[in-house]
Amino acid sequence: MVIAVLRFPGTNNENDILRALSLIDGANPILVPSRKGLAGLKDADGIVIPGGFSYGDYLRAGAVASVESITEGVRDLAEDGKPVIGICNGFQILSEMGLLPGALLSNESARFVCKWIYLRVSDNATMFTERMEGSLIRLPIAHAEGNYYCSDDEFDSLKDEFRIPFRYCNEAGEVDDSANPNGSIDNIAGIINQKGNVLGLMPHPERASRAVLGSSDGLVILENFVRATKC
Amino acid sequence: MDLIHEGKAKRVLQDPDSPERVIIEFTDTVTAGDGDKKEDFTGKGTIACEMSKYLFKYLEGKGIDTHFVKKAEENQLLCKKAEIIPIEVVCRNIAAGSFCRRYGIEKGIELTQPLIEFFVKDDKLHDPLITTGAIIRLGLAEREDLDFMRSVALSVNYYLEELFKQRNLILVDFKLEFGRTEKGHIVLADEISPDIMRIWDSKATSLDKDIFREDKGDLVATYTQVFEEMKKAKPDEVEPRTESIQVVVETKSGIKNPPGEVAKKALSRLGFADVEEVRMGKVFKIVLRKPITSEILAQLSIMNVKLLSNPISEKHKVRLE
Repeated sequence: MVIAVLRFPGTNNENDILRALSLIDGANPILVPSRKGLAGLKDADGIVIPGGFSYGDYLRAGAVASVESITEGVRDLAEDGKPVIGICNGFQILSEMGLLPGALLSNESARFVCKWIYLRVSDNATMFTERMEGSLIRLPIAHAEGNYYCSDDEFDSLKDEFRIPFRYCNEAGEVDDSANPNGSIDNIAGIINQKGNVLGLMPHPERASRAVLGSSDGLVILENFVRATKC
Repeated sequence: MDLIHEGKAKRVLQDPDSPERVIIEFTDTVTAGDGDKKEDFTGKGTIACEMSKYLFKYLEGKGIDTHFVKKAEENQLLCKKAEIIPIEVVCRNIAAGSFCRRYGIEKGIELTQPLIEFFVKDDKLHDPLITTGAIIRLGLAEREDLDFMRSVALSVNYYLEELFKQRNLILVDFKLEFGRTEKGHIVLADEISPDIMRIWDSKATSLDKDIFREDKGDLVATYTQVFEEMKKAKPDEVEPRTESIQVVVETKSGIKNPPGEVAKKALSRLGFADVEEVRMGKVFKIVLRKPITSEILAQLSIMNVKLLSNPISEKHKVRLE
């Protein structure tokens, strides 16, 4: 299945994503520079928006990329029910586009945070977390604006609709303040849209896709994503 | 036609063809000193009407929103219906009239830059000068409206001054009125003629209503002469003026602002112990090719929501410079 890996000016994780996806059976990842516009997404069965610093994080992280013409194609695919993942800056772009609710603010520490963290995967089934419900996984994060914020009403619907698949936790799997690396509401690390086919997450599954990288926990997320492109 | 309002020198009539339009009829009456001095001059209405039409069209061409639609009868203009904001906006380049009396200065002193003053439109009170603070607190207009009118008055000043300059006419000062249309747009209203502005020639001889105020000559002949001069100017040769505005974006209150907190800590390390809170935001300076209009302000709010700020976590405000 054709998976479009988007590259905006300043995106820098596209090769990591392409390499990780190439390990998965049935995935045909292609690099799509954003300047190709809508035409670049013509054959796509799924989309990954990788991390990096699109447009130098000018204005707000993800803001400038979110109004590029190619994002109209992302919207169309998402509306068709095709899977879309935004990782790190990709998550910021999806929220700036309004495909995911809320906003990613400056880390509470006002610092760039780059480290391995643990995530508690929600018990509830989602397209992206099959075979890993309720588990504890280890992925790296690297961001300055990962502090997830949304209104109280929005947070209530995220909870009530089981749309928070990933939350930061400690090594023992406990979700608490001490394990929150950036100040996110309720330790949120990743959320999905109402339809369940758009995932945004700050941690990097592609950087934990092979044992030699220190963890292969992230590969399952990408495998689930690839499987979803076939549906 | 139904009479909507009768002023000192104009009548406002309902346009029988459209509820959203009015016909403004210019009378031959000239008044001064809040109506204490009053006289009729045959043909004054027509010439003031002609000149208003000419200058409204010129200003519209430069992007200023006015109430003018088209010329009707010889002393009538068809205009958009607009509820007049009860504030007179005066722009001064050179000291004259009440400004000199108020501050005891000599007529003819050039101001270092154009001055905008607001007056209450109320003959019984003799149209007193009013501060912006009083206007807002008395509910006569909002601060945003005053900033808007100030900005448009300065644009009008630039475009009239540059046009007149071509014919060696000096724009000393003028008074504008603004109205709110049915759509809620603020537009330049009333008239633009020597009844509402002071124009001097290069020898500082008055070519406006001061002729009547000071009994110095033939009013209609002077108005005609100044209009003939004006018509010789070339509007296309007046360079467009840019307008600067600021958009200020701040994190909503209640949301943490880590960059501000870090800045506050650094300030306290420098010994500024009295700083209670610092919040960091952004300021955009936007230069527009055209004068400010309600339409442009509407576009700016869309820009703010779509790109310049994130409405989920930030608030924004537009400041006219």
